[in-house]
Amino acid sequence: MRGREFSVLMGPSLLVMFGLLVVPLVRTIQWSFENVQYGSPGDFVGLSNYAHALTDPRFGRALMFTLLLTVIVTAAILVLGYLIAIGMNGLGKLRPVILGAMLVAYVLPTIVGAVSFSWLFDQNFGGAVNWVIHAITGQDVLWFTETWANRAMIIAHTVWHMLPFSMLMILAGLQGVPNELREAAKIDGANTPKTHLYIIIPTIRGVLGFVCLITIMDVLRTFDNLIALSPQADAIGNESIMLYVFDSAFRDGAQQLGLGSAINVLSIFLIIICLFPFIRGLLKEAKAKA
Amino acid sequence: MIADTIKAPSGKAGVKILTAPRPRKKKNPTAAILLIITAVVMLTPFIWTALSVTKPTDVAFANPPVLTGYAPTLEAFQNLWETTYFAQYLVNTVVVAVISTVVALVIGLPAAYALSRFPGYVSAILLLLALVFRSLPRFAVVLPMYEISKSLGIYDTTFALSAALVAINQPFTIWLLRNFFADIPKELDEAAMIDGCTRIGMLWRVMIPLMRPGILTAGIFVFLFAFQEYLTALILTDTSSKTVPVFITTQLGQTLPMLQQAGAAAMLLTLPVIAISFIAQKYLVAGLSDGSVKG
Repeated sequence: MRGREFSVLMGPSLLVMFGLLVVPLVRTIQWSFENVQYGSPGDFVGLSNYAHALTDPRFGRALMFTLLLTVIVTAAILVLGYLIAIGMNGLGKLRPVILGAMLVAYVLPTIVGAVSFSWLFDQNFGGAVNWVIHAITGQDVLWFTETWANRAMIIAHTVWHMLPFSMLMILAGLQGVPNELREAAKIDGANTPKTHLYIIIPTIRGVLGFVCLITIMDVLRTFDNLIALSPQADAIGNESIMLYVFDSAFRDGAQQLGLGSAINVLSIFLIIICLFPFIRGLLKEAKAKA
Repeated sequence: MIADTIKAPSGKAGVKILTAPRPRKKKNPTAAILLIITAVVMLTPFIWTALSVTKPTDVAFANPPVLTGYAPTLEAFQNLWETTYFAQYLVNTVVVAVISTVVALVIGLPAAYALSRFPGYVSAILLLLALVFRSLPRFAVVLPMYEISKSLGIYDTTFALSAALVAINQPFTIWLLRNFFADIPKELDEAAMIDGCTRIGMLWRVMIPLMRPGILTAGIFVFLFAFQEYLTALILTDTSSKTVPVFITTQLGQTLPMLQQAGAAAMLLTLPVIAISFIAQKYLVAGLSDGSVKG
């Protein structure tokens, strides 16, 4: 393919990415060095927004909570997604129905699922979960105000919402595992756990890596569901990084747009670090082809 | 063609069918039962919301929950329709989702093709950028968009929201479609071009028909992303182009009837996408196993 053809085909996409992603990003970086309000030029303040962010205990809490959520959710999703995909792959005629039913959790808007969870759990809404727990233990769990109870509900919702996608990806990956490979393993005397550990998982490790990446990226920017699930997020230590940005840079008059922008820039660094293995893989591939 | 892809996702499987009868998979009833239970558990939040919405308001959120002995009612839906601008919000949501999906595909398809056929560092770096853009914290682009859209006078329009969503979701389209294109042998392009097609003509006449499962998969995902989007709509809309997810959150923490309206809105928003999840699942599995997830 010639360079000119390449530019014609890439052109519209590059234009959109430049105008609607790069330009706003540059603005965010600029804001991160300023004391600024929407619609008026800011004053350059150097690194003081960054210093503020890095010494702010609230940012520390938000970072820790977000990382904790990311680790737990990603681990749960990989394990459960794999198990369900394996089961699903062995299903016959039932598969379309069960798969369709499971995908409902994924296709629902995040906010809708979060509202449903809050109604299902909390006693303020006559939640069934709380009612069952009360019937068994005689205790009421305070899903909205107790830190760990609230975390459990947030984790449950996030796993519930993201699991179907990873399961679907892994299921798709399993379609590429040749049956000969499984049969050969069986003939060689491998038992089921060994077949999974040494044959299937290495064969689909690309898919598992991709699922892991997507899940990490999506949990790191948790925002939508906390609006419904954790109305007092900051007070009970369950504020995510993005919720903190929203609070400082948009809600209540956007008093700290500069600080919010600095946190945005810091999160971009965090994300690039997470992306690093994939970046290296891509560059290697390019080198091999060039 | 789609049916073929589902049955024989790779050449190897096709050969195998010819050489030896494939042994039937051992049916495992325990696994099936466990999966059915999982599916039902995963549907519970949705079912519970459906119940809360169809109860009379005085028992809808009672503690302990009232499960029997009430007369189901659709009052919440009627209220929603009569006392709020729900119809307007729903139209906004659908318009934004459809426009941004179509535009993201129209722009992303040629770009993905170009990236799959132009090896080297330029493509690798552009692809990498697409990956980084897909993972960006939304606020890093959406807050400046808020200011820019205000200064351009397009704040709170479906146009601004659609444009933002095209930009945000397009990297994913490129990423997914590039992998589909990479699976189509280059010789096919060359053959078509020797026969007198231009590059664009070939893309239109040969590639797009071949790519149908990939385009469908990418289209479904981008549509879902746009349909579900809350954060971008929250920042870029106010009253006239508000979408249903934003409307739902503004109803929270208000009166019980308003809460029920939010639930009713959630149900109405959700039913069409549930239909998608049942109809589209087999295309998604086939599409994803063909394209995106190799390697």
